[in-house]
Amino acid sequence: MKKILLVAVLAVSTLFSADHVIDQKGKTFIPHEITVAVGDTLTFKNSDPFAHNAYTDDEANEFDIGMQSPGTNASVTIKAAGTFSVECAIHPNMLLEVTAK
Amino acid sequence: MIRTLALSALVATLAITSVSATEDMSKWLRPSEIPQPKNNKLTPERIELGKLLYFDTRLSSSGEVSCATCHHPKRGWTDEKPTAKAVGVDGRVGPRNSPVVLNTAYQNRQFWDGRARTLEQQALGPIEADVEMNMPLDVLLPKLRKIKGYVELFEKAYPGEGITEKTLAKAIASFERTVVSTESPFDKYAKGDKYAISDKAKEGFELFAGKAGCINCHDGFNFTDGSFHNIGLHDGELQGKELGRYLVKMRAAWYGVMKTPTLRDVAKSFPYFHDGSVKTLEEATAICAGGGRFEHNVKNKSLSIVDRHLTKEEIDKVVAFMHTLTGPDMDLTIPTKFPQ
Repeated sequence: MKKILLVAVLAVSTLFSADHVIDQKGKTFIPHEITVAVGDTLTFKNSDPFAHNAYTDDEANEFDIGMQSPGTNASVTIKAAGTFSVECAIHPNMLLEVTAK
Repeated sequence: MIRTLALSALVATLAITSVSATEDMSKWLRPSEIPQPKNNKLTPERIELGKLLYFDTRLSSSGEVSCATCHHPKRGWTDEKPTAKAVGVDGRVGPRNSPVVLNTAYQNRQFWDGRARTLEQQALGPIEADVEMNMPLDVLLPKLRKIKGYVELFEKAYPGEGITEKTLAKAIASFERTVVSTESPFDKYAKGDKYAISDKAKEGFELFAGKAGCINCHDGFNFTDGSFHNIGLHDGELQGKELGRYLVKMRAAWYGVMKTPTLRDVAKSFPYFHDGSVKTLEEATAICAGGGRFEHNVKNKSLSIVDRHLTKEEIDKVVAFMHTLTGPDMDLTIPTKFPQ
């Protein structure tokens, strides 16, 4: 019974989680700030003709998507509530502020 | 219908052309103001104090080396040596080419590996480094506090704050912040004077922003976007300071990467690259636009460093363009007398 309940909860949470596309264009994150829910995904799209590498060192949501080639997408799931910054490891002037609720 | 499509295609083409990097010149114009942190606004007193400290050799353990030894205004704000050589401090040689101080006010990462975010954080590093000025701050600060002239100047610049690590760093950073580009022939061209640069340089600019791919990293008015890259100067496993930003944190993307330097006044700041291994702009351009010195077996080489198949004539044009980024020396009186 517990297993069924857990599966149901996960299914519902997946059903309601959203995907937010963050474009990387002109060496800028577009949008450069976003509010999301825990469980949502951020999809980083590289529209520039060169590589990007989005990452955050935030303890609760740490990720590093690695060198991302032009024209590709890469997704991460938001794991915990909080406010944190995402940078590009190649272009540190690129900054995305994420608020996760 | 065909006419409509053709017209649409033409309009689309014109729209793309109208915003190309060589036609919309706004991104290349020098900013009118120098950015300043809220807690260290520029004042004449702070700039003057910082200038004296910058040129004062008493800030080194040997008494013969100042910031200007390796970052001199008459040598492109660097030292014309492949790697930093603190000639006064036992002739020790640093591991990297002295980076130019010019326009560092506009950068949000300092040093080749970007380990400091601000000029205030950067300013004290070379003073303490054993291969540079080799002066521990716990020796320097009491020494400065005994120099009456400096006590008075610090009080004028930072009233009530005394001579501390913070005020020392703030003063030097204040002077460094004023080291900015003067108006170059390219700036006149960017503002509309079509005769300010040669046709060869104009063709070089088109190549720079197009086929040669330089703009991928040397972008914006300062001709750097502040990005970090491994441009393939060395192959195989890297050692020591060659690891670059990877030494700041062992992030895979930071293996062997160094900060993209400004190209403003670049003709004055030879030799080139973080290891000073290249003497001419022609060779530097050939390496960057030729896929790096090593094409293969380079771990984490930038995807922007690929062979652009430039001819020698095209490289010469790009270099002719880079020479137009040289402005006259900034108006600066180098101090010869220091506080006593």
